[in-house]
Amino acid sequence: MSTRRTFVKWLVALGVLHGMVVCAGFLAPYNPVEQDRKSPYLPPTRLHLADANGHIHVRPFAYSVRLRVRSFDQYEEDTTEPHPVKFFLNGARYRLLGFLPCRMHFFGAEGTRIYLLGTDAYGRDQFSRFLFGGQVSLLAGLLGAGLTLLLGLCVGAVAGYYGGWRDSVLMRFAELFLALPWLYLLLALRAFLPLAVGPLEAFFLIIAVIGGVGWARPARLVRGVVLSARERDFVRAARGFGASNGYLLRRHILPETSSVLLTQAAILIPQYVLAEMTLSFLGLGVPEPAPSWGNLLSSLQQYSVLVSYWWMYLPALIMVPFFLGYLGLASSLQERAEAYKIETSSLGSLT
Amino acid sequence: MRYLLRRLGHAFSLLVGVSILAFLFTALAPGNYFDEMRLNPQIAPATVAAMRAQYGFDRPLLVRYASWLNSVIHGEMGFSFGYNSPVAPLLLMRARNTLLLTITATLLAWAIALPLGVWSAERLGRLPDRLLSWGTAALLVIPDLALALGLLVLAVRSAWFPTGGMASVDFETLTPLNKLRDLALHMILPVTALLLSVLPLLVRHVRAAVADVRNAPFLLAAVGHGIPRRTLLYRYALPAAANPLISLFGFSIGALLSGSLLIEVVMSWPGLGPLLLEAILARDLYLVIGGVLFSTVFLAGGNLLADLLLYWADPRIRTESSAR
Amino acid sequence: MSLRGEPKTLNPLIAADTRTREVIAVMHADLVHINRATQLTEPALARSWKISPDGLAYTLVLRQGIKFSDGQPLDADDVLFTFRMYLDENVHAPQRDLLIVGGKPIVVRKVDARTVVFQLAKSYGVGERLFDGLAILPRHLLEKPYQEGKLGQIGSLATAADQWAGLGPFRLKEYVSGQRLVLERNPYYWKSDAKGNRLPYVDELVFLFVPNADAQVLKFQSGETDMISQLGAENFYVLSRQQRGYTMLDAGPGLEYNFVFFNLNDPGEKTTPEMQRKQKWFREVKFRQAVSAAVDREAIVRLVYQGRGAALWGLVAPGNRRWANEKLAHPARSLELARTLLKEAGFSWSNGPQGESTLLDSGGKPVEFSILTSSSNADRAKMAALLQDDLKQLGMRVQVVPLESRSLLDRVTQSKDYDACIMGIASYDADPNPDISVWLSSGGLHLWNPSQAHPATPWEAEIDRLIEEQMSARTFEQRKKIYDRAQEVLAENQPMIFLASPDILAGAKNSVGNFHPAVLEPYVLWNVEQLYLKMGTENATR
Repeated sequence: MSTRRTFVKWLVALGVLHGMVVCAGFLAPYNPVEQDRKSPYLPPTRLHLADANGHIHVRPFAYSVRLRVRSFDQYEEDTTEPHPVKFFLNGARYRLLGFLPCRMHFFGAEGTRIYLLGTDAYGRDQFSRFLFGGQVSLLAGLLGAGLTLLLGLCVGAVAGYYGGWRDSVLMRFAELFLALPWLYLLLALRAFLPLAVGPLEAFFLIIAVIGGVGWARPARLVRGVVLSARERDFVRAARGFGASNGYLLRRHILPETSSVLLTQAAILIPQYVLAEMTLSFLGLGVPEPAPSWGNLLSSLQQYSVLVSYWWMYLPALIMVPFFLGYLGLASSLQERAEAYKIETSSLGSLT
Repeated sequence: MRYLLRRLGHAFSLLVGVSILAFLFTALAPGNYFDEMRLNPQIAPATVAAMRAQYGFDRPLLVRYASWLNSVIHGEMGFSFGYNSPVAPLLLMRARNTLLLTITATLLAWAIALPLGVWSAERLGRLPDRLLSWGTAALLVIPDLALALGLLVLAVRSAWFPTGGMASVDFETLTPLNKLRDLALHMILPVTALLLSVLPLLVRHVRAAVADVRNAPFLLAAVGHGIPRRTLLYRYALPAAANPLISLFGFSIGALLSGSLLIEVVMSWPGLGPLLLEAILARDLYLVIGGVLFSTVFLAGGNLLADLLLYWADPRIRTESSAR
Repeated sequence: MSLRGEPKTLNPLIAADTRTREVIAVMHADLVHINRATQLTEPALARSWKISPDGLAYTLVLRQGIKFSDGQPLDADDVLFTFRMYLDENVHAPQRDLLIVGGKPIVVRKVDARTVVFQLAKSYGVGERLFDGLAILPRHLLEKPYQEGKLGQIGSLATAADQWAGLGPFRLKEYVSGQRLVLERNPYYWKSDAKGNRLPYVDELVFLFVPNADAQVLKFQSGETDMISQLGAENFYVLSRQQRGYTMLDAGPGLEYNFVFFNLNDPGEKTTPEMQRKQKWFREVKFRQAVSAAVDREAIVRLVYQGRGAALWGLVAPGNRRWANEKLAHPARSLELARTLLKEAGFSWSNGPQGESTLLDSGGKPVEFSILTSSSNADRAKMAALLQDDLKQLGMRVQVVPLESRSLLDRVTQSKDYDACIMGIASYDADPNPDISVWLSSGGLHLWNPSQAHPATPWEAEIDRLIEEQMSARTFEQRKKIYDRAQEVLAENQPMIFLASPDILAGAKNSVGNFHPAVLEPYVLWNVEQLYLKMGTENATR
């Protein structure tokens, strides 16, 4: 089936993108927090094939750069000696996948540094920061979405399966959360929670906040599915045979919600990555110097950066494929659910 | 009528719920406005402590909530320590500006999304439709923030539009017509940013909804009767697709309100957004609660409107409510 | 002119923040004024003042024929009333603490309609400087609300223009919430120029409310505002790079001093063993000296202020030409020195599995601590990031915790639950006296160990003694000598490790005349009555 093929296609694309982020240590040439104080706001390194004398080199090379005299951010290339780009060379120490101590990097150069996306205010490599920042932001999105879905699943299952006062209390509570514009809610929640925390705690706090904001919608969806599944013949039959509530939920009802949850995950993850970015942009996110996509972009809210250093935009552009991947995944899932829905003609008012 | 009353009561209970929730959260917040004064070498800590007591921070939460409710009844909604004034007038002035922005953006968004979606649904799967899909997808995957910042740079570079705020300095001296023009000029940037953030989603939904009903038997029958295409689409297909679209309307208002918070901050539009952010950072408790409540009122109002539209458009609801 | 955010009130009795003070400063006047350019006092509403031989009584004579901006005349009763307001405990005026000298409030006495005597309980080095910034209030408008106990509520921005009056060059015209405050020329203003023209020159002063620094720059760049002040270095750079009809001025280093300090509070019952262990490092003077030696101040000035600032080794910023101790040593960054100092203090290093070295204390525990910084101050956050990297090279593991400024203060002054903190204080005046609550061990801004009952260390006791001494010393030379010594004691003991001081950066359209930004607050509007527009066609300074 073609929807299945597109689904797999998007999944593979996302897998590759995430794989790159997971292997950040290897792909990134430098430590994301290392400061090169001699080169703040250095534009992306120019890679040459022809040197100043007109000789063509087989291997691309870079020149080292130095600050112009009496200037803060104007650089000039020192064209006396070309430094060829090298692959699989040793550099800063890191731990691959979080535990394997390693020194080998995919690329780099000797005698100068290669900044593919330029540097920021402290002379830190934006490319390395982008890759390592992806680890933070994508993980925050994934865990946040996981938390939301877990909350939504629990609340929705309880409300839908038991019904009665539990249902009305929980759904009223859900409406409370749906009644607020999410950004207002997000900000209010974040602001009312303690801000006095370290980077790791802040990371989990943010996950808790963004995960806690969005549970209402999946809860309603799950409730709808559970409500209809409860009345299906095989469930009634199982109940007739004396199956316990826990067994019924576990074996028959919750599996029915998997496609809704999967679709919601594909929608929620990019949304939550964006939420993390928004919080960091407003200065309420993961604290510096830890890189996160929000932190990378937050320097753009300074007008001076916006107009002076165009390469600070580049991370925003490189993020787009990630969001595109999730969008494609979500729509292929929705198409699949659509087909499924027609087959079973179950509850239709799920948006 | 009963339906309307029920929805109104519902919205009201939501507001009360939100206010209780907000109060509970603020009670957990550390720090407050008076601490800022401690950095000023000219103020003694004793002075700060006295002011803190004067504003009732030392009383229990329930008493504070009760006195706040009382001030809501008097149209004050509590007291802003930062501005030294009741909260409601501060918020009302700002809320007007936020509403101006969101309502304009909502109307424009729907005015563009409906024809565009219908147009695209009509050419389902053909090149224009595919192009549009790609366009909306592209807009969807670019973060709103990047869009707003990009527009701002454009404005600065080109000097075509004013770069922020709501009115020129000499606004009061202008003729009514010029005032309108000035306002419109200032609104272009924020409204465009808002539109671009919500439009792709709307267009996609309209397209999907119309595409859904396009092959319904009654429409095929209508085609058979030789009803003109345009009438067919707008008189028959669109109303049939209205049900999901109207619930989308409520959602779009929520999205625009959220979007406007960020865009107001980025483009210095004097709406609720910057006020709320400032209040949150300054721990201006009642102002935060008021701001969150106001945004809830707007959203509840939008949903109420959607409910009414639904009531008007969908006979099933009418019969359901009269049956009860 | 754009303001970063709205002022909170027009009432000088409750104004607490910079923006509000900036607006109030142009609407009101004081008895004796500090000239922001010369940093010396000059007569204002008071034509002259006399100090009694014992230094306890100040006799001020008011100028003749002065009127409030609503036309009502000023007399000694207004002055008496004003000081009663500032000193009334129930009013909670922020200025009150300043008017308590030697533990007792200043006593104000009226001699005749134009003469007032201020009686101090203790002699005060530069008593006349106390009067700067104390706006004289209109008794005819405020007395009734005062008696009704409503003084705190009046003077909100929404006050009708005819219900408010001051003695400053401008008076209230119109306020539009969230957008602007319009002030118009005060026709009764008492100053005139050398040729006898009544000041101020401009007819209108408009404050636009702009939520952030960048919006301020945009407005200035697009020509919507005529002046801009309190610029950050980045924006100054952007504006000076593309100058279009405006001039950018660097007034030199201001009086703001940024510093990092460690928690030196006395351990109480609630102090955790971990905190006690950390405090053992912090109390070691060589540890603090090592940190100071490891700080790359040059990098801070270059990366944070883009070179528009000055490295700092003492509390008195270089912008304060009269009071800075010129002899204070300015040692360059030296990691070797830092390592030697740490070794002498019993610290050692161990090499970790990844080749990084870790600093260990005498008990073999790694040195790890966190530095608090205000999340709303980008400059200080940058300093913290640089400092973190500097100290990493000594093997210290430092974590930067950005906190919202209020909870930051809560931690430092109330709960005292922190390791180290970066802060900045901008002296209000070049004179040392407004900074005494930083110097004195009993002061609330003696941040590393505030509000002590008794000085905790001999050197704090010495500073206390020196500061008290200079307060009652009578001549500048005497005071300067004592103050220099206090600065030396501070530099030896490094309770505050000073980092850098930013330049005061401002800009104005070329059409604005007499634009001379000063390093004292209000940086640009201090000579507002003399500003003028050269073209003569426009009538508004914005």
